[in-house]
Amino acid sequence: MASKLRSMLPGSLPAGSRDDDKPPIVFDHVCKAFGALTVLDDVSLTFARGQTTAVIGPSGTGKSVLLKHIVGLLHPDSGSVHVLGIDMSRAKHTEVYRVRKRLGMLFQDGALFDSLCVGENIAFPLQQHRPDLSAREKRERVDHVLEMVELPGLYDRATSALSGGQRKRVGLARAIVNEPEIVLFDEPNSGLDPMTSDAIDALIHSMKEQLGITFVVISHDIVGTINVADRIAMLYQGKLIANGTTAEVVRSEHPILRRFLGRNLILPEHGDLTDPRLPGVP
Amino acid sequence: MIRWLGGFAGFVVDWFAACALKAPPPGRCMEEAYRIGVRSLPVLLTISIFVGTNLCLQGYNAFVPLGGQRLVGMFVALAGIRELAPIIAAAMVASKAGTEMASQIAVMKTREQIDALEVMAVNPLWWLVTPRLYGIMLVMPALTVISIFTTVTASYFTATIQLGLNGAVFLEFARNATSGFDLMTGVIKGFLFGIVICFVSTYCGFASKKGPEGVGQATNAAVVISSVVCVSLNYLVSQVLYG
Repeated sequence: MASKLRSMLPGSLPAGSRDDDKPPIVFDHVCKAFGALTVLDDVSLTFARGQTTAVIGPSGTGKSVLLKHIVGLLHPDSGSVHVLGIDMSRAKHTEVYRVRKRLGMLFQDGALFDSLCVGENIAFPLQQHRPDLSAREKRERVDHVLEMVELPGLYDRATSALSGGQRKRVGLARAIVNEPEIVLFDEPNSGLDPMTSDAIDALIHSMKEQLGITFVVISHDIVGTINVADRIAMLYQGKLIANGTTAEVVRSEHPILRRFLGRNLILPEHGDLTDPRLPGVP
Repeated sequence: MIRWLGGFAGFVVDWFAACALKAPPPGRCMEEAYRIGVRSLPVLLTISIFVGTNLCLQGYNAFVPLGGQRLVGMFVALAGIRELAPIIAAAMVASKAGTEMASQIAVMKTREQIDALEVMAVNPLWWLVTPRLYGIMLVMPALTVISIFTTVTASYFTATIQLGLNGAVFLEFARNATSGFDLMTGVIKGFLFGIVICFVSTYCGFASKKGPEGVGQATNAAVVISSVVCVSLNYLVSQVLYG
């Protein structure tokens, strides 16, 4: 579990009294609307500890909104979102911040700070929240995660000099450097070429094997999702239409799911490949 | 307008609630002070020089027909020290540092860097507003004093070299018309303008729409609103102190 990561990183804290029995993230009948547009419609979903759960679905179906509920950037109109035992919509600001210190997140474009170099970006959470670590321990830890994401020696590189794939890797290094219990991935393959996408998927898979922490992956790339996920949940027009192990979901006969998986997995021999529309989607 | 004011008031209250009693991010205030002060200085000096020369020319043109060319020094001192130099410093800092603040924060918002701060449990107001606020509070009074001396000096050289007035008389009338209180007024104005510019500009960045259009609008709004508020505030402060 998360203790694997703690034991791997220099200057790690001893394993604390974290409750390993309860699911780390629980959505309970969550509804969210922006004006007349309902984005999440009575979504109930539990994310299993130590597993990689992928949330898939077409663009604009509420995946990123779901992710923002987990980190407390958005609050549900009704229902609740519990993360690490804390109700994120009702908790005090200090409690929300306490939960966030136990999370890591990889943003779509990495969300790296332009004014800081690669190493400073990765060290940022340590600088803010780990006064117990010496400068040497922080540096060692940054170097270690840079090696984990296969970018050794890039500490001093400016973020403007990084490629799209490298930005994602640095973002991932920053997400895991402070020993999170949960790591969230917002479209880890978006904007990447197929080879770089495969490399990122392999990296996520390798991280999962090495660290054993809870991963939540938001994606519409079904091939990559099947490669990395233990479980898959599918959102469609704000509703949760599938939730199960990867094997269960891939074998599901749900028509929308079949259509979504089919288009991503098998290229038709005939027909319009440029038409990305799903049935019922305007 | 009312919505903007409501959002702005909430933003300022949020900053006071979360950050006023918290130590600023280490090292970043001096970094911001340097950035705001040094980068605004060349344009401020240039504008102050030409405001000083023009102030002198117009004063001369106004007073010579009345036989009162000796009053040019007094006119320059009163208008320059009390009113023009502080407002020029504010306008230049708003157009240079204020726009930079708004556009930087708007771009950070577009690139999800502000969300990233939140997710890393770092209050964006503390990280982005506090150092800029303390930095501008530190340098704005100094920039105002620099603007005052540059304006008066430029006027002095225009009066003596170009217009042939007596330098000693110019300085005597300037000195008699003003006092240390006027200099202090300029410093107080600069300090208040700095606070206004920082809060307005950073709020424009935080409240911007995502994307290039949002960045442009935030930058534009920052300089326009800061300038209008500073000019209005300048009148109010002058009214209170001299009215």
